[in-house]
Amino acid sequence: MILRYESWGAWVKLETEAAIVALDRNGVRALGLDGGDLWSEPSSASAPIEVHLAVTARCGAGCEGCYIDARPDGVEPPRETLEGELDALRDAGVFTVAFGGGEPTTRDDLDALAAAARERGITPVLTTSGLGLTDARLERLRGFAQVNVSYDGATDTYARVRGFDGASSAERAIGKLAAAGVRVGVNVVLTRDSFPRVAETLACARDLGACEAQLLRYKPAGRAASLDYLARRLAPDQARALGPTLRELSRGLCADGAFHVRIDCALVPFLSADAELSRDAARLARLGVFGCEAGGALAAFTVDGRVAPCSFARATSLPAISLADHDRDPELARWRAYAASPAEPCASCSLRTVCRGGCKVVSSFVDGAHGPDPECPRVMEHRGRS
Amino acid sequence: MSGTKGRSAPQRGPEADQVTVVRVGHGANCSSIGSVVDTLFVSATVGAAVFAAVVAALRTEVVKVVGPAPRAGKPGRPVPPEKAP
Repeated sequence: MILRYESWGAWVKLETEAAIVALDRNGVRALGLDGGDLWSEPSSASAPIEVHLAVTARCGAGCEGCYIDARPDGVEPPRETLEGELDALRDAGVFTVAFGGGEPTTRDDLDALAAAARERGITPVLTTSGLGLTDARLERLRGFAQVNVSYDGATDTYARVRGFDGASSAERAIGKLAAAGVRVGVNVVLTRDSFPRVAETLACARDLGACEAQLLRYKPAGRAASLDYLARRLAPDQARALGPTLRELSRGLCADGAFHVRIDCALVPFLSADAELSRDAARLARLGVFGCEAGGALAAFTVDGRVAPCSFARATSLPAISLADHDRDPELARWRAYAASPAEPCASCSLRTVCRGGCKVVSSFVDGAHGPDPECPRVMEHRGRS
Repeated sequence: MSGTKGRSAPQRGPEADQVTVVRVGHGANCSSIGSVVDTLFVSATVGAAVFAAVVAALRTEVVKVVGPAPRAGKPGRPVPPEKAP
């Protein structure tokens, strides 16, 4: 296991179980370890445990909602630069690095980069569109702990989300990866059009060999930061239905433990509409549900080598190779600050400590500032009353 | 590995109530941080099994420490534990 001290105890990444756990101080002492001055002096902000690394801005897919505006002639940092950034992740004690882009499989050194991450004790994972996944490219993915394929649904559903029909390519990629013994999951962007068919989409992915589906909220960043976002985002009744939908998906697809459903940080505020889930935030926290961790447990490295609070946020001026100085960066601090003293209705919300105010990318786009997530059902109700 | 040290696993390790958070799985999305949620809907027995598996691993795996290394604390002035995440 790999352990990183925190003011409250330690984060631990297990090796025989695919899990990251938090241990309190007594639990750490039970391992024969002690946090020393980290437990006896005022603490600074924790380093991220997960970092998203853009290894290229090159991509020919042309998805209408691409959050980094990737293009066929996008820039691609040399391997040495990325290895330097992996050094910074190691020095900060980061556990997981998620390779993305652009389309990361266009690089011919992905296997070397995955090995470089593992040499540094970091678990590498990767997201791909699955387009053009040749046998040679697939071979370069074997060093990754998991590969997620973007798959928003079959044919027309996929096309409505991305602007072209890449569903069959994604389905082929899922099947090929699973057949090759690579642990494969899918990323499913939830829009007004894809949400009604999410059960069908996940069932198809599972049948193709996926072990997991991560549901993603559509976010106004990159090419999606336009008025079109307002027409594509989930409708209010769909946001309110997320909790019951997750319950049904879990019962229908996960009962045998061979398939898991994840939600991304930006979907957590929608759980406020689910009475059972929202009244037990402690259970959500104990089972590791993360809301907005931008600048906290999560950070991103942009393709030009700077730290961003998350992949959808503008980069700070902090160089990626200086991640160790994350606790002194004012912009990262600003992103963490909202959760510490949020405005109403977040302040009185039972989910506050888990949700952390919802998606700041959305609130910044819709309301012009960090604030209560304007698409959260509880926030919408509050605003409707006032 | 920079800033690390090895240590043999102890005979007896942490108890389940000292594990404050369990995040299952690797997750491979590169744009936002994800959390497994189907575990929220399983029975208490299945949920306890997740923690039992974690505790068993904590008691058997060898520890490597990463990140900033702590110096010896100053006796007599411990700071109360902050709330776990």
